[in-house]
Amino acid sequence: MKTAVRNYLFFLKRCIRIAFVGDWRYYGWMGLLTVFCLLGLNAYAKQIVHGLIATGMSDEVSWGVYIANFTFLVGVAAAAVMMVIPVYIYNNEELHDLVIFGELLAVAAILMCLAFVTVDLGRPDRFWHLIPGIGQFNFPASMLSWDVIVLNGYLLLNAHICGYLLYCRYQNRKPSKWLYIPFVFVAIGWAVSIHTVTAFLYVGLGGRPFWNSAIVGPRFLASAFAAGPAMIILALQIIRRVTQYTISDRALLTLRSIVQVSMLINVFLLANEVFKEFYSGNLHVASSKYLYVGLHGYHALVPWIWTAIAFNLTAMVLLVLPVSRSLKWLNLTCVLCIVGIWIEKGMGLVIPGFIPTPLGEMVEYAPTLNETLVCFGIWAFGLLCYTVFLRMSVPILQGKLAKANEGTLAPASAGPAGGETALP
Amino acid sequence: MPDPRATPDRVPETPGAEMNRRSFLRASAVLASGAAALAASLAPLRELRDYTSVEQWLQKYYKELTPEEMARVLKRIEDEVERQYGLRPQVRDLKPMDGVQFVYALNLTRCIGCRKCVHACVAENNQSRNPEIQYIRVLRMPHGSIDMDKAEHNYAPASVPEKGYFYMPVQCQQCRNPPCVKVCPVHATWQEADGITVVDYNWCIGCRYCAAACPFWARHFNFTRPGLPKDGINPDMAYLGNRPRWQGVMEKCHFCLQRTRAGRYPACLEVCPTGARKFGNVLDPNSEVAYILTHKRVFIQLKEELGTSPRFYYYFDV
Amino acid sequence: MFDEVVVLSDAVNARETTATVLAGLAVAFAALTAAFLLNAWGRPAQRPPVPLVDLQFISTATVRTSLVELIRMKADLSDFDCYGCHEQGKPPPLRYDTNQNLIIPKEHDDIVMGHGRHNRNNNCFNCHNETNLVVLQTRDGRELKLEESAPLCGSCHGPTYRDWEAGVHGRTSGYWNRQLGPSDRKLCVSCHNPHAPAFPPRQPAPGPHPLRPVAPRVLAKERSH
Repeated sequence: MKTAVRNYLFFLKRCIRIAFVGDWRYYGWMGLLTVFCLLGLNAYAKQIVHGLIATGMSDEVSWGVYIANFTFLVGVAAAAVMMVIPVYIYNNEELHDLVIFGELLAVAAILMCLAFVTVDLGRPDRFWHLIPGIGQFNFPASMLSWDVIVLNGYLLLNAHICGYLLYCRYQNRKPSKWLYIPFVFVAIGWAVSIHTVTAFLYVGLGGRPFWNSAIVGPRFLASAFAAGPAMIILALQIIRRVTQYTISDRALLTLRSIVQVSMLINVFLLANEVFKEFYSGNLHVASSKYLYVGLHGYHALVPWIWTAIAFNLTAMVLLVLPVSRSLKWLNLTCVLCIVGIWIEKGMGLVIPGFIPTPLGEMVEYAPTLNETLVCFGIWAFGLLCYTVFLRMSVPILQGKLAKANEGTLAPASAGPAGGETALP
Repeated sequence: MPDPRATPDRVPETPGAEMNRRSFLRASAVLASGAAALAASLAPLRELRDYTSVEQWLQKYYKELTPEEMARVLKRIEDEVERQYGLRPQVRDLKPMDGVQFVYALNLTRCIGCRKCVHACVAENNQSRNPEIQYIRVLRMPHGSIDMDKAEHNYAPASVPEKGYFYMPVQCQQCRNPPCVKVCPVHATWQEADGITVVDYNWCIGCRYCAAACPFWARHFNFTRPGLPKDGINPDMAYLGNRPRWQGVMEKCHFCLQRTRAGRYPACLEVCPTGARKFGNVLDPNSEVAYILTHKRVFIQLKEELGTSPRFYYYFDV
Repeated sequence: MFDEVVVLSDAVNARETTATVLAGLAVAFAALTAAFLLNAWGRPAQRPPVPLVDLQFISTATVRTSLVELIRMKADLSDFDCYGCHEQGKPPPLRYDTNQNLIIPKEHDDIVMGHGRHNRNNNCFNCHNETNLVVLQTRDGRELKLEESAPLCGSCHGPTYRDWEAGVHGRTSGYWNRQLGPSDRKLCVSCHNPHAPAFPPRQPAPGPHPLRPVAPRVLAKERSH
């Protein structure tokens, strides 16, 4: 038992050390991300001192770009696990190792989600009020309490699956089916649940007719399953370029077909939503009017939503055409997808729910510099985490970081100690 | 021969302590400057004042406080207010009275839109003047419509009432089925036995989900430190009522519970020049509100179709 | 041999680039440290001052001061001493102009008659008793003291009077819980001038000052009826 723990700790130590070792591109990238993280941390410190007045939010628009990013990233986290379905349900061995990259993206995305929610709180020091048993956890009435449970559970699930599979690969030992397959199947269902619960945060509010619609849940999932795999397609190509890890084009094309179907469904659901809002002419259409055409002279979001719709439609057309089988076009399509869905889910969902207010007042929203720096900081933090995860996992999967070569080849470290003594 | 095309985890071994010492120094420089930047990034926190005390941070949930603990909490709050605002208040923990269900009735024939209720509420309940928090918002509606889209919040004529409009003040409706209570993740807001939906300002985490859930825009957030005027503080305070709040917590109309739970009318009613506001215990058949609900024919509960069942009734004479 | 040299120089270049990048990072972090300590950006914008509201807008005083309150305040009641000027037993004559409008005598020129539309109620003795000027009279001949005028108003304004008796018309202040304290139902004349009872328009208190600026709405075509 003690040996097992000691071995595991040594494995962790090696992983952490390797995260500090790389070529100049690695240091440049990590350095850039660290700079943004620090800018974000500084901006958040200012927000703690002055309060949320440092953001662009107000009583009228009380959720802004923090919750918008949170919503988008929950979708990315949910979709990262969509690669799991072809592997484990359809036995597509091609994608087997890539599942780990998807789940690591899910872990990084969930960490970003938790960070975005924390920076949005007015009193983050009182987080302990949320802990069941110690605080007062309003489960099952409050959808936020469900969100706390499902997000943290998803984080643990994915961290376990990736950690276990990677450690087994490190030890060159076949993983025990019972220690990961059941978790994988739970993770598939859990992925759908995290995004559905996040959708229900909005759907359950009767006082906001823009959100109080049954289509919000399905739209969330459809757009998540378009944007998430699109991010993974881009990430896999970067992995292919920067490391020598082999990733077949077939894997990328399998992901492309997921994005294709999801984007078609997403656009169809958009058409449904637009029809429902505008055809009957009832007065609950005010928020939709504000978003798509402007209302009472206020039209700040109109160019954004039409850009998003243009991007999504272009991406959809490109995905349907065989031209997107070529990687250059596929990459463009993925970028269009991600940006279009980010705008649609962030500014196209969160902000119009608040404009006009339930009393008919029109107050617009624009993020401040501080708010933007915090967002960049959290995105940089997430990319930092994901890069570190990849930096650890790719060598393990390639066999270059393995128990077999413990002590025989210490990575030339940029850290203080230089080489380490070989252990038996 | 080491492979120079190696993947990054195999930087070629180079002989010589020279290289190692230089790379060690470079690495240390980066780590040291990084650590300095990290510490400096938190520099703004030096300006943080009066954020929380340890005792305040560890304070238990309101419903779990024993009477002795509550007495200590009240004394601590009195000390905090005295330190921050320079006057010693009296903070009481007023409980709901038995056999009381509060109801508010507002006569839309009589309201002239003078907004005195808005400002009397602000003075009574120690609300922030800058940034401005007001629990009551008076809407000017055109004749014949209750559509909020047609409401005007910023009317400023020389005199009110104006021809062709009626005025509708909106505040927390103290719903019988409150969506804000349902969505709060930490039970910081709940409805008490006399019908008032209250907020425990020491428990709220400031997630603003309740503000998103409220169909009446009745919940207000302290985006920064509240700005109270030095000589405008009402020292007669209640724990769940009008004691001063901090940045980062929600607040809302609580039917002036420091007055109403002592048997008095709320401040908005006391100042109304036309007597358009009526308040009382609906379970008492002799109260004004019982009379109104029995005798008047037309009532509006705002957004009734949402099922929140407000305790606020708008009516017209005859 | 050449391959090895080229490859080795690639490695050296890579090491130099790494060194440059690391040096650049150290400089960047140092610059950040300075920038953070100088606190060069990110302070919330100065908010415009919100003027404190005029005290008249939070005063609970009624629009008028009734005779009851004047008596309670022990104010000067010489204005209500009718027989200080009038003769006992001699009803003051009423004079009308050619349009049947009452001519207010100059001794009472502070009174403006406006009770009822089209001057339908401009006969003083509809309410005042001409033989005993210190009391009021109803149509059915009851006499009421000046400070108990409410039933007189109610003798014409029935539904309003019924509401007033229940405490629902006009303001009732004080304690809703009558067991804990007194309540104070305001009289008709605390709000309504008996000679021109229409409730006077007044200046409204200032509107809200939102945290973020609100541009005025464009009044669109759909708002017209």
